[in-house]
Amino acid sequence: MNPSKYIAFLFLFVAQIFFSQEKVTINGTVYDNNSNETLIGVSVYFPELKTGTTTNEYGFYSITVPKGNYKIQISYLGFKSIIENLNLTVNVTKNFKLEEETESLDEIIIESDIEKLNIKTPQMSVNKLTSATIKQIPVVLGESDIIKSIILLPGVTSAGEGASGFNVRGGAADQNLILLDEAIVFNSSHVFGFFSVFNPDVIKDVKLYKGGIPARYGGRLSSVLDIYQKEGNSKEFKLTGGIGLVSSRLLAEGPIEKEKSSFLIGGRASYAHLFLPLFDNDNTAYFYDLNSKVNYRFNEKNNLFLSTYFGKDVFGISDNFVNKYGNNVLNLRWNHLFSDKLFSNLSLIYSDYFYGLTLDFVGFEWDSGITNFNLKYDFKHYLNNTFTLNYGINNIYIKFNPGEIIPNRPDSGIQPEKLIDKYANEFAAYIDAEHRISDKLTLQYGLRFSNFTRLGQDELNVYANNEAVIYNQQFKKYESATPTGTESFSRSDVLASFNNFEPRFSLSYLLSDESSVKLSYNRMAQYLHLLSNTASPTPLDVWAPSGRFIKPQQLDQFAAGYFKSIKGGDYSLETEVFYKDIQNRIDYINGANLIANNEIETVILNGQARAYGLEVLLKKNEGNFKGWLAYTLSRSEQQTPGRNANEPGINQGKWYSTPFNKTHDLSLNASYELSKKWTFNANFLFQTGQPTNYPVGQYEVQGLNVPIFDDDRRNADRLPAYHRFDISATLTPEKNKNRKWQAEWVFGIYNLYGRQNAASINFRQNRETLRNEAIQTSIFGIVPSVTYNFKF
Amino acid sequence: MKKIYILPILLMFFFSNCEKVVDVDVPSIPPKLIIDASFEVFFDENPVTANTVVKLRLSADYFDDVIPAALNATVFLTNLSDNSVINFSDTNADGDYEPINSFIPADNVTYELTVIYDNETYKGTATKIKSTPLTSVTQGDETLFSGNETELKISFKDDANEENYYLFDFTNNLFLAIEDRFFNGADYNFSYFYSEDDLKVPTAVKIKMSGITKEYFTYFRVLINQSGQNAGGPFETVPSSLLGNMINTTNEENFPLGYFHISETDTYTIFLEDKN
Repeated sequence: MNPSKYIAFLFLFVAQIFFSQEKVTINGTVYDNNSNETLIGVSVYFPELKTGTTTNEYGFYSITVPKGNYKIQISYLGFKSIIENLNLTVNVTKNFKLEEETESLDEIIIESDIEKLNIKTPQMSVNKLTSATIKQIPVVLGESDIIKSIILLPGVTSAGEGASGFNVRGGAADQNLILLDEAIVFNSSHVFGFFSVFNPDVIKDVKLYKGGIPARYGGRLSSVLDIYQKEGNSKEFKLTGGIGLVSSRLLAEGPIEKEKSSFLIGGRASYAHLFLPLFDNDNTAYFYDLNSKVNYRFNEKNNLFLSTYFGKDVFGISDNFVNKYGNNVLNLRWNHLFSDKLFSNLSLIYSDYFYGLTLDFVGFEWDSGITNFNLKYDFKHYLNNTFTLNYGINNIYIKFNPGEIIPNRPDSGIQPEKLIDKYANEFAAYIDAEHRISDKLTLQYGLRFSNFTRLGQDELNVYANNEAVIYNQQFKKYESATPTGTESFSRSDVLASFNNFEPRFSLSYLLSDESSVKLSYNRMAQYLHLLSNTASPTPLDVWAPSGRFIKPQQLDQFAAGYFKSIKGGDYSLETEVFYKDIQNRIDYINGANLIANNEIETVILNGQARAYGLEVLLKKNEGNFKGWLAYTLSRSEQQTPGRNANEPGINQGKWYSTPFNKTHDLSLNASYELSKKWTFNANFLFQTGQPTNYPVGQYEVQGLNVPIFDDDRRNADRLPAYHRFDISATLTPEKNKNRKWQAEWVFGIYNLYGRQNAASINFRQNRETLRNEAIQTSIFGIVPSVTYNFKF
Repeated sequence: MKKIYILPILLMFFFSNCEKVVDVDVPSIPPKLIIDASFEVFFDENPVTANTVVKLRLSADYFDDVIPAALNATVFLTNLSDNSVINFSDTNADGDYEPINSFIPADNVTYELTVIYDNETYKGTATKIKSTPLTSVTQGDETLFSGNETELKISFKDDANEENYYLFDFTNNLFLAIEDRFFNGADYNFSYFYSEDDLKVPTAVKIKMSGITKEYFTYFRVLINQSGQNAGGPFETVPSSLLGNMINTTNEENFPLGYFHISETDTYTIFLEDKN
């Protein structure tokens, strides 16, 4: 559809809805009464009108209803609900403060209402996790972890223990948009994927969108992991912390000016390395992260937030080898209410990712990274109780440093070399409507326009016939072309520009009060590519922008689902099917070297990918025994055909498994509250083994034994299935009662039955016996842990 | 710089203690002809000598104990500057074909290697690649991770006038392929570390340094990687077929494996002490 017509049509719709009967608007913010922290996703419901809304990412709500006398019900999981009688004759601002629940009888009623709302909203393919859930899930070494927790959800897998990133619905790790307080985070892991970079104490709310992604998000194909951090307690000073085997955490928060402004500063650091010198070991390996936030509430209409995140990993082996990497985020946000119906948020964000390596024995230092400046202006317009409009703009300026080599000592002999920096600008504008057509039918539809401009750089390589990769007919292999020259541009020049219209559509239809069907379609464009040809992504991987040789990735996803709330919300069932079609997924020519490659276009082939599957999520939401069972049956493949009839492409142009094609993915999470003192938690995971390549033969060159791999059966073999069982027990001592110091112990055993899960199988000749062997590498055996958490 | 330096280090740290040998059923293909013809001209010796063996083998299933020799092949080399022919024979019937009259590959001459085996003809060409002598090879005192490595310090003078690629053979199937991109024209020095598993000291080792083509460099870099001798684990590059520079002129589809290459090679024998 012509986009301008589409937008005009939207506005026409809006105008019609405006002029109906006499109405009043009630708006406000919902807080946690203890900390004055705003609450996200709180249900604000009028039972008599059977209408309601939820608070947004900043705790704000606005709803327009006919004048009259109504009951209003404010409810949120884990909090006592508020029911009040309101006589609504004029527009009002009403803030609510929810009290944390201890035990209350009416809780079941409330939560069933929440479930009903979830069934009604057209948003599908989304999973939420709270900080409390994340902290209960048993994890390796007791380090609670967002990324490891979302892997328990349907449609999400990881490349394995000790691999960075995660895969959503058969998508690659670089296709996840990870937002921390609206800022893009490029690398989500510490220690090569053992831990994630997010401090669980600081996290307020986590949402994972796997499909039906609203128009306000863009730039990555597969998912959005939207993480919001706490703002800080503006009522009283609080300390929260934990002591674990690997790392410890400490979070301080408190008011600067009571109920107006607060600060939060949270740090986490690993300290295993501190003990290494005791063992006369001069190796070092540690990570830390530091979150800090300040906010100021000027008045009901204006709110300012400043937040920073610094995280770093350092890993060194004496002075010979030092490896450092991390993210930095600086973020300034301004919430402004233009009217009681129009909420806005303006964000100014800086974020970067850097990777540095020193190899003293070779005599150099290597630095690479990506830096971006992001300006976002988002509006949420609560037009009336059936129509809400989201619109906004987003501009990101990105600088890529593909790498620089610096000699690290005077006698090194290494000469400095700077790989050419690349520059780009990504702009997007979107409009998105949440539209309730009838009591049964709700729609969400929108459009995102995105433009990516590759800006001028020094020394852009030029190739004969514009072909950076050539196919050598004689030797039957792809080879890198040699640049015939370079062109230099000024920063303001445009090397390539791409425009995409990305329509988004979701629908929910209520079959009954307890069940609904949902449908969604989304198109996404992604202009950045993470260059990686290892079986699992690594922190060394470099991001590359689309341009003359690398085209933007594009996705179309269709999903359909059936949602049911059982026994008044005690149980819920979510089932979905999805189909994804991805254009311009890159792959690499054989033997491609991606590191320090200034001519990266000479090793890249363009292809496509697809994924489809079925997800089932059965949850028990109530009672002493809670948990979920998630199962995914899916397939993820890619195809890299030859560019013309004389070329075979990869795998003879046939479809092949992506490295993250896992047919079956089952996870079970259960928690049981035995008493006030003891809570038990358990996980079970089963995943089909990761696709891999086994050799079809062997030979020798210069005495070196080499396995033969067959290009016609790329990723055709599989590692053994991955499965494990974890348990944990949380002890809350009774003396906690009526005491300021609150503490708990978490005891855990990861991989209880000691399954040796294969991270990889490699083939090599044994030096002693000179026989060929298949070597399986596994990361974790049984790992017991204990963590002490406190709060006062 | 090169992945080869970085990845093994990451891997050793994390995974060295959690490896085990497993039984795997591997697929199988019909045997392919392997042509391993890496000629070395020992230019720094007096008189100059050369290793000009053409090793012909057949590929075997991965877990087979024996890689069979390809016998009864016709092997000859054509000097393309004057079309003279040098014939090779397999005197010991072990698949190692040697020139009937020993010869030293000349400068700036392209040689064509022809192998006729099982009624199919295979051809490839190579020209000798210049190298540079090793300036010094000494044993150092440093270690890397375990504290039990043996350091070998290598230095040489790179030729500034051209792009150079080098292949080092540290014995025990320990190879290193490097390019002069980051040290063109420099007096370059670097350290190589033998792990205690790679080499038992004290012992004498013979180091070889060869000048190689860019193509052979690319080929050998992948070869080292895929041999698994100094890497492994999940950060391994996705393996792929590795085609060399020999082609089957009778039946294109039945391509051979291996490489025909002529390098200038310098050798150095050093006695390494046990310093730990």
